[in-house]
Amino acid sequence: MTVPLARRQLLVRPARAFAGLAGIAVALLLVLALKAIFAGMEQRLTAYISRSGADVIVAQQGVDTMHMTESALPAGAVAEIRRVSGVAEARGILYVSTLIERDGKRAIAYLVGEQGPRDPGRRAIVIDRSFGAPVGSIVSALGRRFRVVGELEGTASIANFVAYVSFADLARALRSPGIVSYVLVRAAPGVAAETLAVRVERAVPQVTASTREEFLRSERRVVGNMATDVVNGMILVGFVIGVAVAGLVAYSATLSQLRDFAVLRALGLRARRALVLMLAQVAATVGAGLALALLLVWLLALLLPQLSASLALVVRPSDVAQTVAVAAAVAAVAAAFPVIRVARIDPASVFRR
Amino acid sequence: MAPSLVRIRKLTKTFGEGETRVEAVRGLDLDLERGEIVLVMGPSGSGKTTFLSMLGGLLRVTEGEIWIDGTDIAALSERELPPFRARTFGFIFQDFNLLAALCARENVEVALNIAGERSPGARERAEGLLRGLGLDERLEFPIDQLSGGEKQRVAIARAISNRPALVLADEPTANLDSHHGSETMRLLRTLAKEEGATVVIVSHDERLREIADRVLWLEDGRFRALQALVRDPSCGMLVDPEQAPASHELDGQRFFFCSRGCRDEFLHDRHTHTGYTQAATTGRTP
Repeated sequence: MTVPLARRQLLVRPARAFAGLAGIAVALLLVLALKAIFAGMEQRLTAYISRSGADVIVAQQGVDTMHMTESALPAGAVAEIRRVSGVAEARGILYVSTLIERDGKRAIAYLVGEQGPRDPGRRAIVIDRSFGAPVGSIVSALGRRFRVVGELEGTASIANFVAYVSFADLARALRSPGIVSYVLVRAAPGVAAETLAVRVERAVPQVTASTREEFLRSERRVVGNMATDVVNGMILVGFVIGVAVAGLVAYSATLSQLRDFAVLRALGLRARRALVLMLAQVAATVGAGLALALLLVWLLALLLPQLSASLALVVRPSDVAQTVAVAAAVAAVAAAFPVIRVARIDPASVFRR
Repeated sequence: MAPSLVRIRKLTKTFGEGETRVEAVRGLDLDLERGEIVLVMGPSGSGKTTFLSMLGGLLRVTEGEIWIDGTDIAALSERELPPFRARTFGFIFQDFNLLAALCARENVEVALNIAGERSPGARERAEGLLRGLGLDERLEFPIDQLSGGEKQRVAIARAISNRPALVLADEPTANLDSHHGSETMRLLRTLAKEEGATVVIVSHDERLREIADRVLWLEDGRFRALQALVRDPSCGMLVDPEQAPASHELDGQRFFFCSRGCRDEFLHDRHTHTGYTQAATTGRTP
């Protein structure tokens, strides 16, 4: 074991070290938290399809999403799809984005007209708990009144939430008899979703059949497109703040340690090892900042949903990996000037006063 | 007869080029024996620090050779120099140059680590040296909690931790009071005589003459014969009569001064200075 020089030098001024890592943590938290918020929103917005149990989703030709999209298929398409080999079940749904109101409170909802086991019954609605309409209360949508008979969880985002009514009620409200928006298809045992989607498209004209995974990917792309500019902007902001903080901390620490580096070089420390010593301090500061940022975002993911049911933070491994990459880039850029200074240290300067 | 530890031939260092060219060290020749203490004195800007830096392998020579224990350090590559420094030299600085981030023991141990020695041997050696220098109670003390004398003892422990053949000391007593200065002198003397290390001291401190085997006077990049130098009666500095900025003849005796200010002071207060003589200092030239 040798003297832990990098650690000692880093902690010689604990306040500066902590301020540095806190600044970096805040910068990385900006990146991480925003990505987690959008990931949470994405998860909530795709909750309906994720939980639908469908292996294949059939829509009007060219449509492979629900959000910000309209799809209309003739009701007869459901029967046609049921006849396709490998289909265990096919049920049509109606879908519309509309306002739901209760006691003057209004919110946008994805209203789905269901048939079969999810049909809540005539003039009944199942609604996300976040709206605050308890079972038994009355809400109105599309000019009609519905009694709340059940509650959903985990479909509310900052944009909207999901509610179910009976297919027949929604068809009447939309004045669109003979139309379904989508057909949710379950594959027979042993039939792959991809195979079934291909068969459906071949058998039924003018439809697009997507596997659930394909459909979810498209949905995420829509959400992602909405968020990309914001997220990229925030990543840039986080990167710039991180570089500014880490760079300032690393540079000021290096300046204050130049004499020490010169002494170490005079004592026989190789230039390369002096650089490693300095880089280890930058890496440790950024690494600790990253760890603190991860801890904080984890705490936020626990606490924020308690404050608002429509807020969900989902920390995905890919986002953590991207933040680690940002942190590495921050460390690399922040270390650039200190590296130059340390590399140029003249060991003979130890004799200068 | 054993060969000299250090053999310097035609050592020259120039800085800058053209009109800004400065010849800091000019063709020095010098041999240093093992266990010898050599004090290098001279006015500011005379090339002492440049000489010490080149001797310690910290500054490249412009011309000449520096042979240390059979190795010409002027010929070593940038890659070879650091480990050679770590093995061969011990450095003692005026302002100690201890690492504030480390405790007393770690300051010594880190030099051993750089020289390739790892714990627990390095730690034991560091503790042993510091205990030997009377710092038993200060091993884990932060540097900023040590007195000047204690800091210099830590610096000396660090300098000798790697059992160097050559210890280079730059103004080792300048920041110390007379008591700690004397203590440092005694330690340097002991180091040379008991450890067999050659010690080169660059200093203005006249007290160090007491422990030096040889005193060299460096001026304008060259060693000069000390017999030719006289002492400024006002400040006590040694002055080359041929290049003294000021002189004055009084009662048939000529006095030489390091500056006009010293001469004016002398004239103003000449009655108090009448005891000064033109006596040259003793010592042999290189």
